[in-house]
Amino acid sequence: MLIVTCVKQVPDTTQVKVDPVTGTLIREGVPFIINPFDTYALEESLRLKEKYGFRVAVISMGPPNTEVTLRKALSLGADEVILLSDRAFGGADTLATSMVLAEAIKKLGKKDEVAMVICGRQTIDGDTAQVGPGIATRLGYSQLTLVDHIENVDLNAKKIRVRRRLEGRHELVEAPLPAMIAVLREINRPRYPTVPMRIFAQDAPVILWNNKEMGLREDTIGLKGSATQVRKIFSPHREKGEIIGDGVKDPQASARLLVERLKEKNILIL
Amino acid sequence: MEEEKKIRKPRGIAKLIPGKCIACGARCQSACPEDAIEMNDKGEPVINLEKCIGCRRCIKVCPAEALEIFYTPEEQKILEQIAASTSAKGTGTKEVSIEEAAATAHIKEYRGVWVFVEHTEGEPATVSWELLGAGAKLAKTLGVELCSIVIGDKVEHLCQESFEYGASRVYLLDAPVFHYYRTETYNKAICYLVKKYKPEILLMGATGLGRDLAGAVATKLNTGLTADCTGLDVDEKGFLLQTRPAFGGNIMATIFTERTRPQMSTVRPHVMLLPCKDTSHKGEIVREFFAIKEDEVAVKVLEIIKGQRAECDLTAADVIVSGGRGMQGKENFEMLQQLADELGGAVGCSRAVVEAGWMPAERQVGQTGKTVRPKIYIACGISGAIQHLVGMQNSDVIIAINLDKNAPIFEVATYGIVGDVFQVVPAIIDYIRELRTGEICSISESKNSIGKE
Amino acid sequence: MLIYISTIIFAAAIALFFWSCYRRFRLLTLGRPEPKNRFNDIGKRIGGVLYYAFGQRCTVSHGYRFGWNHLVLFWSFMILLIANTEFLLEGLFPDSISFSLLPPGVYHPLAVLIEIASVLALLAVCIAVIRRLAFPPSYMEARSVDAFIILSLIALLMLAFFGLHASEIAQGTEKAANFMPVSNFVASAFFSDVPAGSLNGYIDAFWWLHAIVLLVFLNYLPYSKHMHILTGIPNVYLRSLTKVNTQPGEDFKKGNEFGVGRIDQFTWKNLTDSYSCTECGRCSDNCPATITGKMLNPRLVIHNMKINLLVNGPGIMKNKETVLPLIKGGIEGSVAEQVLWDCTTCGACMEVCPVFIEHVVEIVDMRRNLVEMKAKVPEELIALFENIEQRSNPWGIAPGDRTKWTADLDVKPFETGKTEYLFYVGCFGSFDARSKKVSQAISKILNASGISWGILGKEELCCGDSMRRLGNEFVFDRMTLENIRMFKEKGIKKVITQCPHCYNTFKNDYRQYGVELEVVHHTDLIYDMIKSGKLNLDVNDAKDFGNLVFHDSCYLGRYNGIYEAPRNVIASVTGRAPIEMERRKDRSFCCGAGGGRMWMEEDTGNLINVERVKEAMKKDPKTICVCCPYCMTMFEDGIKGIKADDKVQVLDLAEIVSRALK
Ligand SMILES: Cc1cc2nc3c(=O)[nH]c(=O)nc-3n(C[C@H](O)[C@H](O)[C@@H](O)COP(=O)(O)OP(=O)(O)OC[C@H]3O[C@@H](n4cnc5c(N)ncnc54)[C@H](O)[C@@H]3O)c2cc1C
Ligand code: SF4
Ligand code: SF4
Ligand code: SF4
Ligand code: SF4
Repeated sequence: MLIVTCVKQVPDTTQVKVDPVTGTLIREGVPFIINPFDTYALEESLRLKEKYGFRVAVISMGPPNTEVTLRKALSLGADEVILLSDRAFGGADTLATSMVLAEAIKKLGKKDEVAMVICGRQTIDGDTAQVGPGIATRLGYSQLTLVDHIENVDLNAKKIRVRRRLEGRHELVEAPLPAMIAVLREINRPRYPTVPMRIFAQDAPVILWNNKEMGLREDTIGLKGSATQVRKIFSPHREKGEIIGDGVKDPQASARLLVERLKEKNILIL
Repeated sequence: MEEEKKIRKPRGIAKLIPGKCIACGARCQSACPEDAIEMNDKGEPVINLEKCIGCRRCIKVCPAEALEIFYTPEEQKILEQIAASTSAKGTGTKEVSIEEAAATAHIKEYRGVWVFVEHTEGEPATVSWELLGAGAKLAKTLGVELCSIVIGDKVEHLCQESFEYGASRVYLLDAPVFHYYRTETYNKAICYLVKKYKPEILLMGATGLGRDLAGAVATKLNTGLTADCTGLDVDEKGFLLQTRPAFGGNIMATIFTERTRPQMSTVRPHVMLLPCKDTSHKGEIVREFFAIKEDEVAVKVLEIIKGQRAECDLTAADVIVSGGRGMQGKENFEMLQQLADELGGAVGCSRAVVEAGWMPAERQVGQTGKTVRPKIYIACGISGAIQHLVGMQNSDVIIAINLDKNAPIFEVATYGIVGDVFQVVPAIIDYIRELRTGEICSISESKNSIGKE
Repeated sequence: MLIYISTIIFAAAIALFFWSCYRRFRLLTLGRPEPKNRFNDIGKRIGGVLYYAFGQRCTVSHGYRFGWNHLVLFWSFMILLIANTEFLLEGLFPDSISFSLLPPGVYHPLAVLIEIASVLALLAVCIAVIRRLAFPPSYMEARSVDAFIILSLIALLMLAFFGLHASEIAQGTEKAANFMPVSNFVASAFFSDVPAGSLNGYIDAFWWLHAIVLLVFLNYLPYSKHMHILTGIPNVYLRSLTKVNTQPGEDFKKGNEFGVGRIDQFTWKNLTDSYSCTECGRCSDNCPATITGKMLNPRLVIHNMKINLLVNGPGIMKNKETVLPLIKGGIEGSVAEQVLWDCTTCGACMEVCPVFIEHVVEIVDMRRNLVEMKAKVPEELIALFENIEQRSNPWGIAPGDRTKWTADLDVKPFETGKTEYLFYVGCFGSFDARSKKVSQAISKILNASGISWGILGKEELCCGDSMRRLGNEFVFDRMTLENIRMFKEKGIKKVITQCPHCYNTFKNDYRQYGVELEVVHHTDLIYDMIKSGKLNLDVNDAKDFGNLVFHDSCYLGRYNGIYEAPRNVIASVTGRAPIEMERRKDRSFCCGAGGGRMWMEEDTGNLINVERVKEAMKKDPKTICVCCPYCMTMFEDGIKGIKADDKVQVLDLAEIVSRALK
């Protein structure tokens, strides 16, 4: 039985800066990293592998240099990594992304029964958290997002029991397999690769599937298959470092001003 | 392309404007009909000058306006000549392709603005009402109706509330199978309603539930979905313009859905203003029956675990009130706890506090403690040594209260008060309590565009 | 008949001794090859043996009250070694070998010498026993049975020696009686009344007592902690001729194992170290971790290595699985993980060890196993590793922020071919609010001196020190190659560092990669500038600093021997020498941040930095001067911790100098 983990390579957006003068994004020197949320997805897959004996396949759709990220997955213990890369996949929104990923999972499923697809909660570049639900819907899998604990996997009954975190509460859910699980950061602490595994991963195979391999209709994938379009991009005006009132002379006034400011900006809802 | 009789109009060549590409995922490359674009390791396009025919498709799709057409000086000259000779004629008649026309006709069938009313077992989420406020404006601009969908088990009271918040029609699906939210049942129900009534816009709250549901619905309906919007507007053609932060909040993107309907967004809570309740406002309830049998649904909600988990789990808290060495003693953390209680948050601290034994280690934020990203982080008497900053600097809003105006914490703070925590914090608590008692309606006068950009 | 029996017994005992030695020393061959040349420069090595072992340098110095006792015991022992060799040979080949056959001109002085040595040894043993009972050393095992057995054996041996000679003198068979004052005295005191007929019996009895004690001692030796008597001197001979300030590299080939997780993965020299430990406890007496109540005790680390080798070695020889894990803890012969993480790599242990044991290298080797083979590290470190790997700084801050400290300052980028010195700011100097001020102070000084310098700005990468000390050699290796590539590409040859850790890494660690950079720490550079008159200083501001206490950073002092430069700079800026703490220079007490400890929680025992701050506070300082951003952080933190921040300020040497710039 197979667990398919979806990972995305993203620019390290915490390093992205906005030029204060021109307002453009400074990406110079910003490296691509494995989407931090996906490291939890991979870790959870590996733990399930250790506990129940699944095989773990990691798939990623992205440009050819995504290979680096996939090698990292190998060094952590993934059994198989597949890079979905093609010109035709480029410019995809979540609809088109989930299309390619779902088809890839189907293709993997022909060789080995898929028990679970595990995704990160969201990415740090697109930030949408929509790809996971997209995959689940396309494949007709049980959709379990916001999972912060996997309680049990019953392989005989083909059922999984997880805890989901919603606003102000948790929910214990039981769902049939196969399931798509999107995990939260709190679910685990990702491991660190050992050196022998890293060395192994340096020249282990990364399987490439392009659209010749996948054979998907061009108007369902990539830019052409995307329903949303980005019209424009601009930098948010950010108020950094406003000192409010004179807190030494008149703490009362500063406190009131602060609360007013927070209300004004809808940061504080009373 | 054949040599024309007139001087051939140079089309130029696409060129990347340095520093503007955001590595959006090779939109330009995928748009190029000539395969003239290769992506480099930074995710930026490299344009093959030989192959580029200047068709401008890449320029159109680039969200970052990072590409432009470049002419050689000779071409520039020819262009100027043409411009001079054709200035009177008026070029650029727009031709509409048949495909486009069909698509336009298709999307014309969809009308109305819908808001999904989110609730937990009958208890509505405020964001739904905020969305009715935002939806009302969209509906007004578009000249269409504002409706809401209520799905649940014994939730008819939400219909009335929807009217009070501005909906003029509510589609109601009331059945025991909808008692708990489950993606499958709600997804099917909404798709059924959408297919039947064809709304042009469908809004949901960008809550855990909303984002779970919207992703599934949009995929099923094969339409565009914009996540976590902070601004909504309608353009002259009637497209919904959805503005949302991306790239970890470093950029804002305005997104629209061109060919498919409905246009779907999830909208961040607390961004749109909550409209005033109008108890006199009435509307029509459309009762729908969409049969899903309980035994057809394999997903079961076994248990709901309620309670403030944030209490023990700092990383999950939306608001963190943190104290540092400046708190001077264990007993003073009671004050921070009060503030945290007012804001529904948790109390954190710096390492010094743990060392002094004023707080347990699990409350420590920073390098060797927890990394947190709450919506509001209030640092009280924390100097802001780098060891602490790395644990909290990605919080949405940082408020620093410190006596030392040179403390590094002010460098990362959104709002700072230079003052004594023992005076400022109680004053904040008092003022919040004061405001709470005299509740005021938050919608004041209508703004032109909704939400914030 | 009796003669043959003695020969047989002697032969058997001596053979047994050699057999035991063989069995023990054979285990040393299990070790990996030693990357350092341990046999070069014979002259220096022999010199070292004479100075350190025969001169007992380390035991005597460092204010050890009982070091002199050991010196006496050591030398008596050396002399008695000759006497006892004779005794053994005599026992093996009765009547054919004896000192008495030597010409009187040699024999007589020898006899005196042996007499004196024996008395001194007896006295030294008595003192040692009394000391162990009355002033026990900091650890309990010093009072162990083992120690008392050895001491009583030595005492018995001496008593038998005197008994034997005294009875011989009484019998009149000792030719050199006049040269044996003590035996003479014993003879007249105890044997004058013994009838001549029974003297033979006494002689035989004492001879056998002496023989048996000696043979027992001989055979007990390889099994006791006093094995150091056999390996100590060789270990001094094999010592590292340069300071042990770095770690051997590793070869990242497929199939290799990294670090030390099994005893035979140590080098043979590391294993010899474990045999050589005298269990004197000097290392742990100076170890900041041990002193503040952490799990780590360097003496026990070495002891456990030895025990582990003895337990597992024979099995490993036969290619059997090991039975006692090296890294686990909870049992003698095994080292707990926490112990390994407790080390600040301050080097105090190595500085005081009389037999030149290289604790830090061995501890880091075991850390490597945890990191590289098992990926088992304290949670805090995973974030650190990821940050350094991905963003080349410990906090994971955007590299673009590296130049923030330069705002409003005249700081130029390093330009190939144009700029002479690279000012390598380091991660602390670039990102840490407090250390940024030090960077600014340095830049002012550099500008004032008129030298040509520049920075790498956002291209600067982390030097990798923490990675290496924490045992993440794989990433350190990559980082080093990357840095070296950049240095070469940019033609960087001269580097000024702000941080002693960067300094040590560039200077000593990078040397293993075949790069010879001219690296200078700002203390040295400033001192040179003052000497050569490049800085125009106003010396009248000394009052500003009040009582100024200086703290030696481990990586500047112990690791690189820079003790005087900062002191001289302080003297020339403030007009007087800094006030010294009790523990200073090579005995300085670590701030607690080295060896990657900066990035870990310190949750057992007292805080190291607070301990050090308290020591400094005894001198009633107004200023504490440091030369290292780690020390800066630890001191500032410690001072706030004991609520002394209104009394004392912590300044970097550069800040003191920049304030005095005209
Ligand atoms: C500024 C900007 C704004 C955008 N806004 C929208 C928008 O509003 N709506 C929209 O539909 N698209 C949008 N997109 C496109 C979208 O961000 C991505 O490009 C899309 O491919 C993936 O969505 P995501 O990154 O948000 O993934 P998420 O849905 O946040 O990712 C969830 C999980 O899905 C998996 N996953 C996601 N992508 C991949 C992949 N390529 N390969 C393998 N696994 C993957 C991972 O496990 C990940 O943790 C936007 C793009 C840009 C540049
Ligand atoms: S202008 Fe047209 S041909 Fe040229 S690069 Fe852009 S899309 Fe390709
Ligand atoms: S479309 Fe624009 S932002 Fe996207 S990769 Fe191309 S140039 Fe960059
Ligand atoms: S290096 Fe320092 S901390 Fe480590 S064992 Fe030696 S003395 Fe102790
Ligand atoms: S390691 Fe060195 S200093 Fe420590 S006890 Fe052994 S001999 Fe003494």
